[in-house]
Amino acid sequence: MFIIKLKWQSIIAAIAITMACLFMPMEVHAHGVNINYTSNVEIEIIATYDSGIPMAGAQVAVYAPDDPTTPWLTGSCDEEGRFSFAPDTARPGIWDVQVRLAGHGGIIHIPVGGDTTTADGQVGFSHLQIGIMSACVIWGSTGTALYFSKRRKT
Amino acid sequence: MKKRFPIPVIALSILAVALAGCAGGSATGKLQFYANGEDFVRQGFVSKDGWSISFDHVYITLSDIAAYQTEPPYDPSSGTDIDAKTEIALDGVYTIDLAEGGEDAPPIMLAEVSDAPVGHYNAISWEMSQASSGPAAGHSLVMIGTAEKDGQSIDFTINIDEECEYLCGEYVGDVRKGILEEGNTAELEMTFHFDHIFGDGELPQDDELNLAAVGFQPFADGADAAGVINMTDMHLGHVGEGHCHCACE
Repeated sequence: MFIIKLKWQSIIAAIAITMACLFMPMEVHAHGVNINYTSNVEIEIIATYDSGIPMAGAQVAVYAPDDPTTPWLTGSCDEEGRFSFAPDTARPGIWDVQVRLAGHGGIIHIPVGGDTTTADGQVGFSHLQIGIMSACVIWGSTGTALYFSKRRKT
Repeated sequence: MKKRFPIPVIALSILAVALAGCAGGSATGKLQFYANGEDFVRQGFVSKDGWSISFDHVYITLSDIAAYQTEPPYDPSSGTDIDAKTEIALDGVYTIDLAEGGEDAPPIMLAEVSDAPVGHYNAISWEMSQASSGPAAGHSLVMIGTAEKDGQSIDFTINIDEECEYLCGEYVGDVRKGILEEGNTAELEMTFHFDHIFGDGELPQDDELNLAAVGFQPFADGADAAGVINMTDMHLGHVGEGHCHCACE
């Protein structure tokens, strides 16, 4: 009985201390600072014709890696053919930027973030994956067969 | 005594079933190939030297057409061969009339592959080759039409015999093309810019396009096409507004 009583007392005390810590007003230091940061990557493109003449006023369409058919951002180049944008770094991969002017255009592919591989559209499994899965299936089935085979003998 | 299946037989059977199941897992869709002479061919236009050109027929012969999925994306300015992980090649030679239909006629569909693997077909290549028969026999490109300027009217037939290889990257235009999802249809387009040959009267004379184009006046003066047109310099083949690598002979 004594031991049980002590446990309950300890639990109640622990809860009380925790609650007190949670709701106690925090002491504020006069010279304390809070520094937060966000990571933004700004990309600038410069579009020119082969001759070097800037594609002034060219239409720009930016496509995020996870939606290659709908522009994530549209805009136009300045007089020097420049266009800047900050891609969403939470959407890593290859960002496509298409630039068009007067019936001529091009597209550039820019890697953003850690995983810069594009979705390749391949479905199903590679030969290696098939091999590994097959080996697992065989191993599991063989083990099961051996198990039941052994049980019958005993 | 009961007959038992040996364990290796059981294992091999399971392997066969597993592999058969995986083999049928590749997703496919329809991939359509189009050729487009644009409004320049369908509606006519004014050349850089002021000739109002309209076309009755523009026969072009295309062969060795192939679409690719490349990683990294193919850069046509490199002039290198296309290194693809997936390739869809069309058999056959196609002679088509880019001017067929009315002024608002859609691009011409050459072929459709119904079981193309899904993915982004971001490169395409083709040959403009000489036709072996038909109205364009012996030529790779035949332009038939009428040109008018200052009350003068000339009926013309311009034959091009050069054969050209075009290596192109991704289609560039209002919409992105070539992105094929399972069970859906994706389009690819071979686009031909005839203003590159005759120039565009709506652009300044010193525009790059007009500086490179031959215009129509040489033909009005009776010049032979082979004497004034170098197809490698004309850059006729595009993918929408995107340029291609071109080599002619």
